[in-house]
Amino acid sequence: MTDPVLVIGAGVAGMTAAVELADNGVKTILIDRKSTIGGNALELYKAFPTDDCFYCFEGNRWRPGIRKCFYRSAMVDQPNIDLKTDTRVKGISGTPGKFSVILDLGPQYVDPKRCTLCGLCTNVSEAFLLASPQCQPQAVSYDPEKTDDGAKKAEDECPTQAINLSAIQTEETVTVSDIVIATGYHEMKPSVVDEYGYGKLPNVITQLELAQMLDPNGESAGALVRPSDGAQVKNVMMIQCVGSRDENYYPFCSKICCVFALKHANIISSERNDSRVSVVYMDIRTYDQHERYYRETRDAGVEFVRGRVSRVESQKDGTLDVHVYDSLLNRYLKFTVDLLVLSSALEPPEAADELLSSLGLNSASGYVGPADPISENEVVAGEHVYACGGALGPAEVPESVNQARAVVSKILQGRK
Amino acid sequence: MTETEEKTGPPVTLIDPIDMTKLDPKFRNDISSMPNGEELSACFACSTCTAACPIANQWDYMPHQLIRMILLGMRDEVLSSKEIWECLTCFQCQERCPQKVRVTDIFFDCKNLAAEEGHVPENVLALGKTLVDKGQLYEVINDWEREDLDLEPEVPGLSIEGIQSILKSTRTGKLVEDGE
Amino acid sequence: MPVYSLYMGCSVPANYPNYEAAMFKVAEALGMNLNYLEDVACCGSPNLRSIDTFGWLLVNARTIAIAEKSGHDIVTPCNGCFGSLKDVLHHLTHHKDDLKKINVELKKMGLEFKGSINVRHIIEAMYTDIGIEEIKKRVTKPLDGVGIAIHYGCHLLRPLDVTEFRPEILQEMVDATGATVIDYPLWKQCCGATVLPVNEQLAIRLARDKLKSMKDAGAVFITVVCPACGNQLDLQQLGLKDSYGEVYDLPVLLYPQILALAMGMNEEEIGLSMNRVPADPILDHLSG
Repeated sequence: MTDPVLVIGAGVAGMTAAVELADNGVKTILIDRKSTIGGNALELYKAFPTDDCFYCFEGNRWRPGIRKCFYRSAMVDQPNIDLKTDTRVKGISGTPGKFSVILDLGPQYVDPKRCTLCGLCTNVSEAFLLASPQCQPQAVSYDPEKTDDGAKKAEDECPTQAINLSAIQTEETVTVSDIVIATGYHEMKPSVVDEYGYGKLPNVITQLELAQMLDPNGESAGALVRPSDGAQVKNVMMIQCVGSRDENYYPFCSKICCVFALKHANIISSERNDSRVSVVYMDIRTYDQHERYYRETRDAGVEFVRGRVSRVESQKDGTLDVHVYDSLLNRYLKFTVDLLVLSSALEPPEAADELLSSLGLNSASGYVGPADPISENEVVAGEHVYACGGALGPAEVPESVNQARAVVSKILQGRK
Repeated sequence: MTETEEKTGPPVTLIDPIDMTKLDPKFRNDISSMPNGEELSACFACSTCTAACPIANQWDYMPHQLIRMILLGMRDEVLSSKEIWECLTCFQCQERCPQKVRVTDIFFDCKNLAAEEGHVPENVLALGKTLVDKGQLYEVINDWEREDLDLEPEVPGLSIEGIQSILKSTRTGKLVEDGE
Repeated sequence: MPVYSLYMGCSVPANYPNYEAAMFKVAEALGMNLNYLEDVACCGSPNLRSIDTFGWLLVNARTIAIAEKSGHDIVTPCNGCFGSLKDVLHHLTHHKDDLKKINVELKKMGLEFKGSINVRHIIEAMYTDIGIEEIKKRVTKPLDGVGIAIHYGCHLLRPLDVTEFRPEILQEMVDATGATVIDYPLWKQCCGATVLPVNEQLAIRLARDKLKSMKDAGAVFITVVCPACGNQLDLQQLGLKDSYGEVYDLPVLLYPQILALAMGMNEEEIGLSMNRVPADPILDHLSG
C-alpha cells in the first residue's frame, strides 16, 4: 500500500491540497500547529476577490451537500484525511518518496469528537475559548496558561466528558511519500519601524488587526473603535509598504497588502458611516483584475496620498497627528486621525528556516523557493516536496487554491 | 526696513504643513456634483494631464496638482489660482486621462465657481462686458473688404439682442454690473 | 443638393471675410446649399463658458433651437463656434436636468431645444456629404506636392466624444488638392489664441513654438479652419521678427482658399491679399 502524503499547514492552500488528494483516493495527513484550522484566512473577515465572508467562500461550492461553506467540508469527515491539530513537525529523515517524519502532538485537552459546543466550559472558565462559531474542528480550545479554578469544574461537569486537563504531549512517527508545505505567511509586527509608533501608541495597528476589529465576531462586534479608549473612529489613515520593499526589512513587495488595504478602506467607507479613510502609499499595486478595487475605493471617497509619513504624534484627546509629505503636491500635510493602520510586510512564518534546512530546500527571502529557479513549476520545492499558498510568498486566496491544485496534480502524476 | 528689523530670528517651524482639518472637504463634492465632475474621484494622480499640458511648466500648480487640491479640499487655493484662467482649453489633458476625468471641463467648472465668488481676471471680464454691450466679440470694421468680396456689409444673421438679453439676466450681467 | 443652416459667428465675418467668401465659392462649386441662419446670437466663446456656463448654454441652445425649426444641420467655419455649439448640443443631450432648465428659458422666447439636428464643421460636411472623390474631380489645378502643415485647432479635435472630428478628415481634404501633408511634432499643440486675454507672452510663445515646429519639418505654408487660430498663427508671425528675431514666412491659408485655388479659382475671388503673410509661395506652386 502506498504511503500517505503529509500536508503541513491547514490554511486555504493546505486544506485545498488535502481535500483534493483525499477525493482522489490518496491518504493524507493534514497537520496544523493551532487547534483551529483555517490559517490566516480565518482572521480576514471578508476575503477578496469576492468580498464573501471567508467562511462561505466559493471554493468548494461544487461539493454535494456542502453549499458554499469550506469548513462544512470533508475536512473532518473525509475518511482519507487524518487531521491533526496542535501538531508540529519535530524532525524529518528518510529519503524522498519515503520520508520519516516525527510529529509533536500537543496535549489533546478537548476531544473534538465529543465536544458539542454546549458552552458550559467557556461560561465557567477563562481558559476555554470558542475561536469562532464555525471553527473546525467543531470544538472549544483550552489554553493552559490561562487556567483557573473554573477549568477543573468544566472538566468535571462537561456533559460529554470531552475535557481532559491532564492530557500530555505525545510523539508520533509517520512514513509519508510526499510532503506538501503549506505553512502560510505571517504579518510582521512593525514595532521595528519606529517612525510609526506601533507597539507604543495603542491606536496604531496592523491590517490584520483591523480585519479582526471589523469582524462582527470580533471583540468590538464589528464596531470601529479606538483601542485606547473605545471611542468611535472617525478618521482612519492607512500606510502602505511598512517593512515591504525595504532593504532594511523585507526587500520584496508583499503583493496583497494593497488590495487588502483597499478592501478595508472600502468596507469602512461604505459600511461605517461618516468614517473618512486616507491611504498613504508609494505605489498602489493592484495587479490583474484588482484594479477594479482601486477604482471603487476612489469612488467611495477614500483619499489617496502619494508620499510618506514624516512623523506621528499622539494628542491628549486620543487622536494622532500624522505629518505626511505629499510628493505629488510637493507639500506637507497634517492629518488628525483616530486610527493609524499599517500595511505591514508579510514575512515567512516562524520556524520556516528550520523546515527549509531540514529538507535542504532553496530559500526565496525566507519563503520556500522552487527547486529549479528557471522552471515554471514554482510549486516543486524538491524531490517529493511541494509548496503552495503563502509558504511560497504572499498570496491571495484564489492563487493559493490554484497552487494547491498544481501540487495535487504533480503528486497524482507521480503515483501513476 | 533696517538691517536689525530683518533679523527676526529663526523661523518658528521649518516645515509648515497644510492642516487638513482647516480645508473644505465639501469642495470635492461641489465639483463632482457638477455635470463634468462625475469622474473626478477616479483620479489616481498618474499626472498624465500634466504630461499632456503644453504650458504646465509655467505654472505653480500643475494640472494633476490642481485635481489633487480639489480632492483634498483646497478650495481657496484652487479658486484664486491664476492657472485655471490660463488653461488653454486645448483638452489634451482630458483626452489623454486614463480614468476619463474631464480635466479641462472641471477647470471650466472651477472658473464658474471662482466667478461666482467674484474672482475673474480683468481681461476676461472685459470680454463679458463686450458681449453684454455689443452683443458680439468682434465687429466688422473694414466693411469695404466684405463688399469687395460681394458679402453683405454686416455680420450675417447676427442678433445682437439675442445674446444681450440672455446675459443680462445670467451671471455675466451681474459680473459686468459689479465691475462698473 | 444638401441644404445646411450656416452659422457664421462674428469672428469670420469681422476678421476673415476671405474665409467666408472662399467657403461660399467652394460650397457652390460642390453643390452645397448654405443658408445663413437668421437672428442667431454670438456663441460667446470659451470665455463665456468660463465665467457663465449657464448663459453660454442658453445662448447656444437658442441658436440650435432656431436652426431646429428648419430641420437642417448647422454648419460653421469657425472652430470656436463649432466647439461651443457642439459642446452645448452634447451637454444638453447628456444632461437632462440642465436641458429642463434651458427649455424653461427657451419657452419664454417661443423656442424649444429638442436635439433633432447636428452641429458640424463645414469641412466635415464637405468631406462626408460630398466626398473626397467628388472633390478630387473638381480639382483642375492641383498643387504640385507643396508641403502643407495642418493646424487643426483644439476645439475641432477635442474632446473627441464631443467633436466627433477625426484628424484624417482634414488630411484627406488637403491630400485631395494635390498638396503634401507635412507631419510635425507639435501638430496637436494649441496655437495660443485662447490665452491671449490673460497672458499674451505665453500666447505668443505657443504660436512661435508651433510655427517653428512646422517650419523645421519642412512646411511651406499652413492651413487652418478657424479664424482665431488663423489670426494667431498669421498675425503673430509679424511680431516674432521683433520679439524673437525669427522670420518664418509661412503663409496661413484657410482651407477653402486652398481648395478654391486647386479648383482653378483666382486669388481675388478668395481674398488672398487679405492674408497677412503674403501667399506668394503657394501661387508659385500652382501647376498648369
